[in-house]
Amino acid sequence: MKNELELKVQAWLDGELPDHEARRMGEWIARDSEAAALAAELGCVKKAMFRHETAVALGESREFYWSKIQRQIQREAGVRRSRGLPWYARLRKYMLPLTGMAALACMLLMAVVRSGSPAFDEISSTGEGMEAVTFHDQSAQMTVVWLQDNSPAKVDQAAQKSIRYEDEPGTVIDLQ
Amino acid sequence: MRMAQKGDLTSFEELVARHRDKIYARAYSMMRHEEEALDLSQDAWVKGWQRLAQFQGDSSFVTWMTRIVINLCLDQLRKQKRQRAESIEAMEEDGGVERQMPVDNPNPTAGLERVELRERIDRALAQLSHEHRTVLVLHEFEELEYKEIAARMKCSIGTVMSRLFYARRRMASLLAGLRREGSE
Repeated sequence: MKNELELKVQAWLDGELPDHEARRMGEWIARDSEAAALAAELGCVKKAMFRHETAVALGESREFYWSKIQRQIQREAGVRRSRGLPWYARLRKYMLPLTGMAALACMLLMAVVRSGSPAFDEISSTGEGMEAVTFHDQSAQMTVVWLQDNSPAKVDQAAQKSIRYEDEPGTVIDLQ
Repeated sequence: MRMAQKGDLTSFEELVARHRDKIYARAYSMMRHEEEALDLSQDAWVKGWQRLAQFQGDSSFVTWMTRIVINLCLDQLRKQKRQRAESIEAMEEDGGVERQMPVDNPNPTAGLERVELRERIDRALAQLSHEHRTVLVLHEFEELEYKEIAARMKCSIGTVMSRLFYARRRMASLLAGLRREGSE
């Protein structure tokens, strides 16, 4: 018998054929001994299995079986709760530690800046009759030199000269 | 049931206690592995709890739960199938020996007592491949139609018919063999 016909015998047995086809198939099975034998065998297995499922009982106690289910339900409920929070609430959760870390970083930076070399240097030198004050700003790369003539002849004139120049290697300051 | 649907876990635990054997039995009939069946049946209860609000009462609660555990078992079987070699399965899909055998005994279960018949069916089922056992369980135990089985197993109706045919012929052969063994 062709496989297609075998499957039709089965479909006829399972009531899966449309009415008109089922009628024709029934008539054919009644006439054909091979088809009738196949239908009888398949029907026997079908009938034997119907409501003959082996009853399998759980070996676990009620409490033990339930405890795993309960734990999983509670764990997944926790995950869902955190997923259900609005975005700002979730952001807030991370903002607190981030703010703390940022504040700490700022404090560290300030401490480093304060403990390091100052941003400018000031050197004062007084010679006989002449006073020179040098101011050097590292951030602006600028040096300002004040020269003051303190010689008796010049005191009255309150002579004061100021020279300003940009830092350049090899620059020579000509003091007059 | 209503209490459980409102979120009462104690009521749900009562439902679990009442139906756990049935749900476990269905998982076991499909997986044939006690630990896997245990895990899957417990997972099914967790899913059942999460979807309890969707249960409308169109079918009985235990039928609804059985559908959940069947789906979990099918997912698990698909995962396993991907992992193991396909050659043996493909050979069985083509028909195997029993499919082409002439019918020599149209009534392989004649004369068997009810309890004995159950045991033999169980032993014979254990010898089928997952695919053939699943289609038989869904058709004979769950009484699903071809198209429903095809939808659940994600295959064509033709494949369902072919698998069911092969599974039945193999069952007939195994039951007749078991009967012969018993009478010897």
